[in-house]
Amino acid sequence: MSCNPFSPQLLDQALLYLICSAVGAFVLAPILTKILYKYKVTRRADYDFTLQGERAQKVGTPIMGGLLVIIVVTVITLLFNWERTYTYVPIGAMGISALLGAADDLMNIFGRHRRRRRSIAQTWTLVKVHHNIFWRIYYFLSLPWAAFRELTGMLGSHPGKGIQVHEKLILQFLAGAVVAWWIYFKLGSHWQTINLPFDGEIMLGWWIIPIIIFLVMFTANAVNIADGLDGLAGGSLLITFFGLTAVSWTDGRAAFTLLNATVVGALIAYTYFNIKPARFQMGDVGSLGLGTLLAVNAIAINKTLLIPLFGFIFYIEAISVIIQVISRRFFGKRFFKMAPLHHHFEFRGWNEEKIVMRFWLVHLFFVIIGVWLSLH
Amino acid sequence: MLSPKAEKLINDYFNLPFKGLSNIRCPYFNNARRRGRGQLRALIGKGTPTEIVEEAKILSIQYHYDFFDFDGRCKLCGESKDANEITAQVRKFLIDNDLGIDCSGFAAHVLRAYFRETRNIDIFSRAFSWPVGTWIRRIIAKLRPAENLSVRVLANNKFSELISDGRKPFDYAQLKPGDILTMLETGPQNKRNHILIVEGIDAGKISYIHARAWSVEGQYGHGVSHGEIEILTPERSLLDQTWEELGKLNDTNETYLEAKNAKVFEVRRIKL
Repeated sequence: MSCNPFSPQLLDQALLYLICSAVGAFVLAPILTKILYKYKVTRRADYDFTLQGERAQKVGTPIMGGLLVIIVVTVITLLFNWERTYTYVPIGAMGISALLGAADDLMNIFGRHRRRRRSIAQTWTLVKVHHNIFWRIYYFLSLPWAAFRELTGMLGSHPGKGIQVHEKLILQFLAGAVVAWWIYFKLGSHWQTINLPFDGEIMLGWWIIPIIIFLVMFTANAVNIADGLDGLAGGSLLITFFGLTAVSWTDGRAAFTLLNATVVGALIAYTYFNIKPARFQMGDVGSLGLGTLLAVNAIAINKTLLIPLFGFIFYIEAISVIIQVISRRFFGKRFFKMAPLHHHFEFRGWNEEKIVMRFWLVHLFFVIIGVWLSLH
Repeated sequence: MLSPKAEKLINDYFNLPFKGLSNIRCPYFNNARRRGRGQLRALIGKGTPTEIVEEAKILSIQYHYDFFDFDGRCKLCGESKDANEITAQVRKFLIDNDLGIDCSGFAAHVLRAYFRETRNIDIFSRAFSWPVGTWIRRIIAKLRPAENLSVRVLANNKFSELISDGRKPFDYAQLKPGDILTMLETGPQNKRNHILIVEGIDAGKISYIHARAWSVEGQYGHGVSHGEIEILTPERSLLDQTWEELGKLNDTNETYLEAKNAKVFEVRRIKL
């Protein structure tokens, strides 16, 4: 569904969606909070170094608050903005990622400690010493898998009770593949191009598939990484989706304008309850789901190249983790006092509010640049 | 004495630069047993004093030990505890968390500071040409020089020149600050290597510094240390002189015993 760029009717409709979504989320929020408290879906102190001193009060705060946004957006889109061509895949991809996040959140709270991963060295030893030849062959064949687990394990922090990094990456790859399939096979060749600001478009052909998969995976994880301080991910996502709404509207992409406006509405309510002291926190269910939706929507409105601007703070946070891992593994030194970046500033003595508000402002600035570039 | 910056670094190892705390001597930590791979160098016995202090702060906050706050100030200081008790607690915390320095890590940082200041040469910048083995190991050495400058490398003829076999007499007057005393294949099972750095020569006394763990000091007593070799009989070898460290002389001095038991005990000078 498309209409004229800058259409007043579309703007009117988008604002209505935004208002309805915000009202719906405000109504749902207390009910969700009660349910999360009732089932003790709350934050624990294990492995969470940030729960110190003044922040110790966060222990017991419900997590999985991101469900608020996921539920409201899904319901409103299903009821009023459901289009097989445009909205079902973004909602579907968001759903897959949100389910993955929910499983991770719940396993982290209620699960048992996972068994330690067998390292490459241990697998190799078993290849050499196991008395059964078939097991030896099995261990030999499983060496690449052990290498993959060990390599991806370096990216994770603490092997806790939740879904492990390699499992998460595989499931995210599937979500990315669904989106790539949709864009490449279902939306037609027009969608295999990338818009270059000031310079028209470049045709990518099948290259669009790995690019989409990578962007979906990276963005989902980036939002997940940034969800570490009260209000940070929620407020930043609000700014991002506001920018995406504006761009969809200026391009006359009705379905995405309404979808993004719905997300903005729900995020207003979410962020209201999430700013310090948070009534609930997003959890992986929200951060992975909304991260995926961010990437899918930006790709679908042909702003693929501008994703790093629309998701600026998320990308910076994710890149800070990558730099830290490289510096630690290759040079044996910390590049940041701690990664992701918001923890670095905490160690520098900045308080939570200062970090969050400055990050919001920096993010807003880059989203504005993204919107401006989208117009060209 | 070594150069001012090297002495400052040594002083930092003897008094780790914690905010509001003094006299925290850097403990000894050797990664040979723990076998941490691809780790932060502060966690494998190769860190600088600043890195060790920073890591202590981060670990304390991360794992809720409650020793330091986000500004790095010690929380124990406000609890009206005895200074010695605080020192002991902080050192125990460091040792329990594998924070410390081993002999070659200590030597690497001190010698680097010394030659950078006196000769304007960074020994780490030449890591690719160190005798560490294959070219892959040389690349790793280039990336992580402090971790790869082992006693074996320091005692290799490509890296340092032999002044004398430690078991033979030589002209002690030719020793200079920055020279090293290397001991290969020593310890109870002859599997360990050790290194001392000559800090100064004055009035017939060679003062040395090193990082070590003596068995008599138990689990929490070890760390960087000063010692002296008093040259009473110049016509005889180093092992026939009087070694003093922590008030212990010769056969009660475990550094002396390590030198005595070493398969190879040499006095060497870094080639620049």
